[in-house]
Amino acid sequence: MTDHAIIHQVLAGDVEAFSRLVDRHYDRCARIAFRILGNREDAEEAIQDAFLRAYRALGTYEDQERFSAWLTRILVNQCRTVLARVKRREAVFSDLDLRDAELFAGVESKDSEWPDLERALALLPPDQREAVVLRYADDLTYEEMARVTGAGESALKMRVQRAFARLRALLQEVSSV
Amino acid sequence: MSDVEFERRVGRVLSAPMPANARAKDAIMDRVRAAARDQRPTRALALPLGRTARHSLIGLAMAAGIGSITTLSALRDTSATRHAGIVTSVVIGDSVVEGFRDTLRLVRLMFDNAGARQVAVAGDFNEWNRSATPMRRDERTGRWSVTLALHDGEHRYAIVVDATRWAGDSAADRPADGNGHVYSLLHVARATN
Repeated sequence: MTDHAIIHQVLAGDVEAFSRLVDRHYDRCARIAFRILGNREDAEEAIQDAFLRAYRALGTYEDQERFSAWLTRILVNQCRTVLARVKRREAVFSDLDLRDAELFAGVESKDSEWPDLERALALLPPDQREAVVLRYADDLTYEEMARVTGAGESALKMRVQRAFARLRALLQEVSSV
Repeated sequence: MSDVEFERRVGRVLSAPMPANARAKDAIMDRVRAAARDQRPTRALALPLGRTARHSLIGLAMAAGIGSITTLSALRDTSATRHAGIVTSVVIGDSVVEGFRDTLRLVRLMFDNAGARQVAVAGDFNEWNRSATPMRRDERTGRWSVTLALHDGEHRYAIVVDATRWAGDSAADRPADGNGHVYSLLHVARATN
């Protein structure tokens, strides 16, 4: 059954049908939110809020757009809201180096293929982290990223480029320790 | 490590699945169910996919100067119940519009929603145009109604409230087309008294 068919079921009054959308899109949302926020608790809050907002706004969803893209836009906005709330905490840690980044990188880096990368991601400026996550965790094109973020394609390419330069610098730094 | 290799490795790490939290999906549905108890989402009108162009039967009837509301005054209201915001009755009349190649039957749709500012009906018969067929409100009863001139047979339609919200018909069939879209279905046939 397509996402559109499920949405029509939900709009016809079948609330439980929404769980199929949650099942289908949760893992992707988790990848995005965890990487953008770097914190499991905040990510789960953002994901919950995003799905709830999507449910409430389902009547405004238009079939012409992919549901996944529509949901991603809502999720990214929720992540930004969470980030704004924890901005102070970010500011405190932004001066720390890679060895300290794990303090606030709540992602289970010990399970990661590349734990140092997880920590380095946490040190990127939020707009660069968001761009690189959407590009590589969700495999979006720059055109799709522009629709999701509201930023221009050239600006997004620049953010990704800068993010990679920063990641390389941080990882070289830690490998020299 | 080359730039290409570095990019590929970053991509592999970022696209790796996150450890699952079994409770997380349940928590989402708990909140959705709670929200649904307060208010369920209403649907902005979406045009059906794959529909084909058809002639406006209403336009034909109007052009012929026939099919006025007065011809429906003797029609029988078959509604059993009335609920706010739901189409509660479809009355099929015996009046027949003739003079064209096809015979058209006059059908009156009624919709109870005293709070609506404007109501219209969109369907196969008007190219799903949300403003082409407005319903008129009876100030005394608060009931919205419109008279359609339709061929015998089945017609898909939806009620459009305040130009954006979609309301279903509790009495009509609610089929899904091949794309999973659900619409109200109106069966038009000779009335039996």
